[in-house]
Amino acid sequence: MTIHNPTKKLLFFLSFFLTALFILSACQKQPALGDFGNSYIDDNKSAQIVVVDTATIDVSTTFVDSVSTAGTGYLMVGSYNDDWLGKVTSRSFFQVAPPPSLPAIDPRIDTYDSIGMIFFFRPGSPYYGDTTQYQTYVVNQVDTLMELPPFNNGWFSSYLLPTGPDLGSTSVRIEPNRPVSNGTIASNTSQGTGDTVRIRLDDQLGQTIYNMVYNKSDTVKNSTKWLRWFHGLSLSPGAGAPANIINGIKDSCIMRIYYRENALFSTEKFIDFEFTNKNVQYNYVTTDRTGKPIAGLNRPTQTVQPPPLTPSAQIGHAGYVQSMEGLNVKLTFPYLNAIALRRDFIGLLRAQLIVRPVPGSFSQIWRLPPQVGIFTTDQHNQLGAPLPSLGSGGAQTGSLIQDYFNPLNTVYTYDVTNFVASQLINPSPAARQTGLMLAILPPAENSAFNRLIVADQSYPVTQRITLTVYYISLFPHN
Amino acid sequence: MNQSKIICFLTLLSVTSLGVMAQNNFQPYSQMGIGQLDEGYYNRTSGLGETGIGYRSNRFLITNNPASFSGLANQYFTMETAIRGTFISYSGTPVQPAGTQSADITFRKLVMGIKAAKHWGTSIGLVPVSTENYEFNVPYFIQGSNQAVSNHFYSYHGSVNKAFWANSYEFFHHLSLGVDAGYVFGDLNQKDILQSTANGASFTSTSNDIYLQNLYLTYGLQLYGRIGKHLEYVIGGVYSQKSALLASPNKQVLNPDSVTIQNFQNPDHYLYLPNSYGGGLSITYNQKYTWLADYRYSDWNGVQALNSYPGQDYAIVSSERASMGFEVSKKKNLYNSTVELSYFQSGVYYSNSYLAVNGRQLRDMGVSLGIGVNSLKSPLAYNIVFQYGIRGTTDNNLIRENYMNLSFILNFGAVWFTKGRKFD
Repeated sequence: MTIHNPTKKLLFFLSFFLTALFILSACQKQPALGDFGNSYIDDNKSAQIVVVDTATIDVSTTFVDSVSTAGTGYLMVGSYNDDWLGKVTSRSFFQVAPPPSLPAIDPRIDTYDSIGMIFFFRPGSPYYGDTTQYQTYVVNQVDTLMELPPFNNGWFSSYLLPTGPDLGSTSVRIEPNRPVSNGTIASNTSQGTGDTVRIRLDDQLGQTIYNMVYNKSDTVKNSTKWLRWFHGLSLSPGAGAPANIINGIKDSCIMRIYYRENALFSTEKFIDFEFTNKNVQYNYVTTDRTGKPIAGLNRPTQTVQPPPLTPSAQIGHAGYVQSMEGLNVKLTFPYLNAIALRRDFIGLLRAQLIVRPVPGSFSQIWRLPPQVGIFTTDQHNQLGAPLPSLGSGGAQTGSLIQDYFNPLNTVYTYDVTNFVASQLINPSPAARQTGLMLAILPPAENSAFNRLIVADQSYPVTQRITLTVYYISLFPHN
Repeated sequence: MNQSKIICFLTLLSVTSLGVMAQNNFQPYSQMGIGQLDEGYYNRTSGLGETGIGYRSNRFLITNNPASFSGLANQYFTMETAIRGTFISYSGTPVQPAGTQSADITFRKLVMGIKAAKHWGTSIGLVPVSTENYEFNVPYFIQGSNQAVSNHFYSYHGSVNKAFWANSYEFFHHLSLGVDAGYVFGDLNQKDILQSTANGASFTSTSNDIYLQNLYLTYGLQLYGRIGKHLEYVIGGVYSQKSALLASPNKQVLNPDSVTIQNFQNPDHYLYLPNSYGGGLSITYNQKYTWLADYRYSDWNGVQALNSYPGQDYAIVSSERASMGFEVSKKKNLYNSTVELSYFQSGVYYSNSYLAVNGRQLRDMGVSLGIGVNSLKSPLAYNIVFQYGIRGTTDNNLIRENYMNLSFILNFGAVWFTKGRKFD
């Protein structure tokens, strides 16, 4: 290109230099001069980060007298004696239905043999307590229609139905989650039949039903009539000292009638009455807290009222989380807004809640809940919305770090920035009662007995619940 | 392309250049005072150790002394721009082996001038006054915790520039007086970012800005003439009048989401530029050999009590600079006039800066070499200057910078307002 005009030449050169300048400036590199310059900076001229981890936290336990335990998929049955919660017992009520088509039985040649229950403890099913112990399971027939009382819309843990005499029982040890060779897990029972628990029932009941079958009785041909006659069954732990184990037996159980079909050769046959009405199956949970710190728990005094609150000082300086028993922990921060009143406070950076279980309250037998949710709550002590974390915005589970070797390192950690940010500017008179609720997350809320005992602030600093608030600080007038 | 288009283009160029000037090498002392003062003029005198208070040229813009513009050829329009490449090697106790050098290339100035009348020369331009460019990290223990460690990332970026209009008038063919009316403006910015040592995420950042502006006047004088048949002399003097720069501080604090949570303006105050005096002399023999010497003194002590500079634990003290240069010019007679073809320059300089850190006044000294070529086939002239210098010291835990500058100065010249007459 030939440029003859001097002015254009100038512009061409200037454009070239500027282009070269921008390109070459991008190649700039800088030296490492350590922190030289630090001592020449004005003090307190820029924002700092201040951490406050001395905020007062009031730990209380809310108590709901019953929880919905229907249709969880598990018959939670057993009993254990907990040093913190007392004697906990759970039994289950459920129904079975006759098969849709009945076999043709010839009473002249076929003979009744026996009746029994078949339960399954599948790998991964819930359990709580000492799995080395034998637990006695007793089957009873429900002695009333399994219908909800008026004005009730679900089966709750406090409903106890009358039952008839014992139909049968067995004592068995269930070994859950046993590693097998291919890297998977399996369950084994002491009956030597894999994950199956068998209980032989009363033959009088078996013979009665057998006769109904070969008579083609409407009772066994029509499921509604069957339920009105048979009602249902109950599986409960045997009487006596707790075996210290509650197992979650899969609800797909079977009541089986065995008989022999006699012809040229005698053949063993059976009629299965399978589990039915999943929503009617529920678990009945009772506790005996006599002599335990939690015995001082406040109970509801009216039919309808907010869940009563019990301060930690009244129940062993701890809070209790076990949703199966209606126990949640409410945390309030009565002086939190004082942080925002500090002269240097200009903004919240983040806030973290560290929940520490009481040392010695957990072990590989008395396991912690692997996930504990955190919810907002107010003066009504109800579970509010799940508290989202600052970054992901999703519901939090506590990110449990479990360390049996150094129990003090066992913590649940929550990002409570969003909550603290709202509380710092909460003008409501009820702000002091607005707080956070720790509760077991679904589906474990009504199908697992894992519990958390939270240390309140009477414990040493390294053992207690702690709120750590990081705020942005700027001293005024500089 | 008509002249108005050229002016529009040059205006755009000037605005663009402001942003570019801030992109410098790390200058560890630039966090103090109003930044690191730029002692360079990036003109014909740069190869002479910036010695030019007593120097006149009929083609080049000698911004060292506003009285020099009357020396331009009649109706001659000239414009200069410069870029500078710098390599710095740092030494001293704070310097870590991981990085001891830096390099950059920056735009330095844009100046134009014209001999508007027989005795009146005028010039406008944009030149750097000081720059601020430094960054460093300091580990930081979050207040209230002995475990959680954050990190301060301090960054200083800013520049103070001067847009000027200078005029000079020649009296009696031996005296020229000039005034440089400069508008000094710029922004000193200190940013403190508290960031995670784990992933560098910002927790909060504080930006302290000081916006500066005011007029800064420089007066110049030059006496010149001949001594005998072979010698020419120029004696020059400059005086810059103390000026109170209006300083408007603004503080802005951002949260991790870069949302402003505090933004307030502290009361305005003043940062003073001092009275400054300078004198220079040049002797030219046979229009070929020129010897030059300059001395300048800036009375920073006189404004010390008035000033409130950012930072602490350093002192502002009066500064001085002395320099000498020697030039050989190669000329040729063409069409009954003498035309310069090229020139070679050398210079030395020594200065005590306006900063005293850790009890030591920082000094800057070096040498320079320059070569210039004036094109006969185009209106362009090229000047390349090499400079080597030492700034600072390694004593008292300070940092010494050994630097090399390579400047390229481009000059464009044309005769304007000829009213149809041709000057070939």
